[in-house]
Amino acid sequence: MKLLLIEDEKELAESIISCLTGNGFVCEWASNSKLAIDKISIYEYDCILLDLMLPDGNGFDILKELKRQNKTEGVIIISAKETLETRIEGFNLGADDYLTKPFHLSELLVRIQALIRRKNFKGNNLVAYNEIEIDILSKTVKVKGKKIDLTKKEIDLLLYLIGNENKVLSKSAIAEHLSGDMADMLDNHDFVYAHIKNLKNKLKDAGCSDYIKTVYGLGYKWQND
Amino acid sequence: MTEKLLHKISRSYLIFALLILIVSAPLFYFLSEKLYIEDADEALILRKNEFLQFSLSQLKETDIPVWNKFNRDIKIKEATQLKNDTIFYNYYYDSLAQENEPYRELNLPITIEGKPYTYSARINLVETEDLMKSVALLFFVIISLLLIGLYIITKRLSLNLWKPFYETLQQIEQFEIDKNNQPKLKETRIEEFNRLNQSIEKLIDRNTSIYHSQREFIENAAHELQTPLAVFQAKIDTLIQSAEFSEEQYKMLSSLNDSVSRLNRLNKNLLLLSKMENDSYNEKQTINLNEAIEKHFDFFAEQAKSKNLTIKTELKETVAVKSNPVLAEILISNLFLNAIRHNVSDGQVLVTLSNHSLTFSNTGQPQPLVADKLFNRFSKSNPSEQGNGLGLAIIKKIADLNNWKISYSFSNNLHSFLVTF
Repeated sequence: MKLLLIEDEKELAESIISCLTGNGFVCEWASNSKLAIDKISIYEYDCILLDLMLPDGNGFDILKELKRQNKTEGVIIISAKETLETRIEGFNLGADDYLTKPFHLSELLVRIQALIRRKNFKGNNLVAYNEIEIDILSKTVKVKGKKIDLTKKEIDLLLYLIGNENKVLSKSAIAEHLSGDMADMLDNHDFVYAHIKNLKNKLKDAGCSDYIKTVYGLGYKWQND
Repeated sequence: MTEKLLHKISRSYLIFALLILIVSAPLFYFLSEKLYIEDADEALILRKNEFLQFSLSQLKETDIPVWNKFNRDIKIKEATQLKNDTIFYNYYYDSLAQENEPYRELNLPITIEGKPYTYSARINLVETEDLMKSVALLFFVIISLLLIGLYIITKRLSLNLWKPFYETLQQIEQFEIDKNNQPKLKETRIEEFNRLNQSIEKLIDRNTSIYHSQREFIENAAHELQTPLAVFQAKIDTLIQSAEFSEEQYKMLSSLNDSVSRLNRLNKNLLLLSKMENDSYNEKQTINLNEAIEKHFDFFAEQAKSKNLTIKTELKETVAVKSNPVLAEILISNLFLNAIRHNVSDGQVLVTLSNHSLTFSNTGQPQPLVADKLFNRFSKSNPSEQGNGLGLAIIKKIADLNNWKISYSFSNNLHSFLVTF
């Protein structure tokens, strides 16, 4: 999977690149819009991460350029701007997702995965992990071929955990992921525990291995040992 | 007690005029009376001199009855004890007017053909009563004219002279520093008012520019903070994955994480406040508040679970209000969160929506909050609490923008926030 990160803040770019590279992505970096447009014209990417405020121009111009060149790359806007207007303009210009800075790298990772799944969608949209099988469209989960009853939130949580396999996930990152638009309102992450507990029990009841490990003091981790 | 400038001025005029008139009326009376009597005395003396010079030498004793018969005012009478000229007041009965009339009389001893007689001349005086009446009438007329004149002049002054002053006053009264309605003060032809207007304009310009730069500063600061915050967050995330840590270290990382998200929330709320002040959310729509409350109800119910709170709602269906949809949602979320955050374990939250009001009541600390600073930025009733002290300021600002009223009350151990629209 090949990614293009368009971001002028070097420190942030380095962290994103190191995270994504660790997850098997090939990540290229463009620190300004001229370089970005050059790269877009030459190469094909599976996904583009786009910052809107660039030293030599607006991220929206890159979206327009993509459209002009009839490129079908998936674009996730990563921006500090978070007004409804910029979101709407971004989506209208062909962006697929919008992530407001600051964000957790784990969140970025599952968004990229979801986007790539949607882009490569051929009839079915399945995520499989050993004995677990998740159908994203019909929102059903099977363990060893048997359907189990999970709530929407629990499926969301499961996808997030699997997407961040082997990574330590802080409670706050999980809480923010589960809260979606309301994440800014959060000041208590206690509800994460309840969700994790329920999911764990339901998976265990279905005879699934115990993949969810507690990282004491911080959060949880999806790990196959 | 305050009163209008014009009233004060006209009253001072009036008091002065009345005082002068009251003091001068008796003065005027005595002076005119004195002048009149002096004039009468002079006339009597003149007549006496004429009599002594022209008539007395030719007068015979036998002429006296004839003289007296044809002269009403100069009589020759029997001699009295008189030695010198005497002038005095006397009253005579006037048969024509049928009343006693005041006279000024001059008596003088004379000798006619060697025999002593008394010369008596008199002049009819105006009655004191009449004089006083005329003086009073005169003064009444003067006072009336003065008052009418003063009234008209002050009225005209208020309309013309003070007009620019009142215009300026009105402009300043309407001025609000957080709205873009800079007062336009007109040039006047009165120097003092021009100076006043110029000073006010300078003051307002200065304050507005300070206010703007401060607002800009908050906005810029919040904006500029976002990038380092994003870097901070990303670095913590990377650090967490970089090695196996001890529980203590994980706890530290977790608290770092929480601090970043708290900073981030604070930052976003500051941005939100300054955006609201910049009128970024002036687009209004009709919103169904009932739906807006139910939209995120699950999220808040979930948040309430950890404190085992009971959330009760009494929502009237289809309560439509005009507001910016984003702001309406933020208002509800903040009220909801406030009711949950400051609650006690096993407490309750009651949400009531009626046609004209929305109330969030919650159990909490047993004492009422200090109401006067409640809606100020960063005013926290309990500094150790979670939350950044901006929630209620945001609620207040949103209510203000929609011309809604927000109030706090405490009764039956329930803290209530009431929004009236």
